[in-house]
Amino acid sequence: MPGDWTDYIGQIIFILFFIMLFTGLNQRIQMKLWAYDIRSKLSLIKRHVDESRSRTEEILVKLGVKEPSPLISKYMDFFTIEPVSLEPTDIIKRLDHILTTRERVFKDSLAQVLPDLGKHERSLIETSLEIVSVLNYIYKIVRHYLLIGEKYNNWVLLMQLQFQMPEILRLTETYYKSFNAFINGVPIGDGAGPLVAYRLIERGRVLSKKVIDDTVVVETWLDDRRLFVVKAEGPGSNVGKPGKVIQKVIEELNGNVDLVITVDAALKLEGEETGEIAEGVGAAIGDPGPEKIAIERAASTYGIPLRALVVKMSLEDALHPMKKQIYEAVERCADYILRIIKDSTKPGSTIIVAGIGNTVGVGQ
Amino acid sequence: MIIDDYNVFVMIILISLIIILIQLWFESKKRPRAVEMETKTLVKCPKCGYSEEREFQPGDFVSAIKGKCPKCGSPIKVHAIYAIELKTGSREKLKTPHKPL
Repeated sequence: MPGDWTDYIGQIIFILFFIMLFTGLNQRIQMKLWAYDIRSKLSLIKRHVDESRSRTEEILVKLGVKEPSPLISKYMDFFTIEPVSLEPTDIIKRLDHILTTRERVFKDSLAQVLPDLGKHERSLIETSLEIVSVLNYIYKIVRHYLLIGEKYNNWVLLMQLQFQMPEILRLTETYYKSFNAFINGVPIGDGAGPLVAYRLIERGRVLSKKVIDDTVVVETWLDDRRLFVVKAEGPGSNVGKPGKVIQKVIEELNGNVDLVITVDAALKLEGEETGEIAEGVGAAIGDPGPEKIAIERAASTYGIPLRALVVKMSLEDALHPMKKQIYEAVERCADYILRIIKDSTKPGSTIIVAGIGNTVGVGQ
Repeated sequence: MIIDDYNVFVMIILISLIIILIQLWFESKKRPRAVEMETKTLVKCPKCGYSEEREFQPGDFVSAIKGKCPKCGSPIKVHAIYAIELKTGSREKLKTPHKPL
């Protein structure tokens, strides 16, 4: 029937449809919806940044720092410039120098503000500041792309950002929730390597112990073999310098090492179980380069077999308090290493086992 | 109102739009279930093997000596610290049972 209300609605829908199609209005509406969604998620990230910042401030005030804001601001905007990669000569040496300088600057600034605080507690504060810095960096990057997308009406950029937001949000929540673990000194999933190393120290007869570059080297006698166990010095939040220390130990022993085993936490693929153990060859260490290359160079110079074991876990598992499945995997991993040692070396051999990872909450 | 094919078509479009909007609204409200975890400290006697699971206390770390063994009297050590999932099925956010430093 002419003039029926459904006729009008139908006509309006079709006219609107064609107007939107030919003027690009549909894309603009879509862009606004994406921008709105990104903005709401960005406000959540901002809340994480503010909360972790204020908690760090509270802790610093409790420890006696009168003005914590300048210190936190300094950490939050701290940046590291990568070395020139166009000319690769000495790039590892240059990268190592930059990373060491960064570490020293961080430690010195904190030592100036908190001179009486112990090494262990200071490392926990340092890691908390690093978490605030990472969260702030993610926030700034997301905000940058959102504003650029809106400024230039770049709907492709906003679309990509919107699709990536759940992953970015998951990452920020992982860092935000790891704050509690570090501030309380609870072992995290990434500490699986150092915990395996500690288990081996516990099982053997300790012959000597020394600390080089925040890294502990414990010489033990286990199953008729001489075992050098390397791990970061705990129980503070520390990853040490296991690569350089392994290289040093090998050189001190003039290359008379029969086997090097590295144990580390590895990111699992979706579908894999947390706490799965996998065996392989090479150096299991996730540093930017200097530590890994040191192990590879030392092992290849003297022809020492390089074996690796990894405990699989997600990023959340790696940064949150160690789950019971990971602890159980650590026990299995220690047995696995002993089996590898028995099967591939003879009594009287010298072996280096390195537990790689953050040793927060794990002593030696 | 005469119910002809055209009217049915418009009605279907409107109903579909309403369903999509309701679904989008529910999707936006959906939150993944937060798993509540509790941190435990496992202490073990290196001599007699006595072990006990305790609540985590700030200052606990693996290898720390925590009192004496109630069985043999020798010092007991922190053997492990791990987080276990609480079977509450609660939708609350992750909480830490202990205070920060």
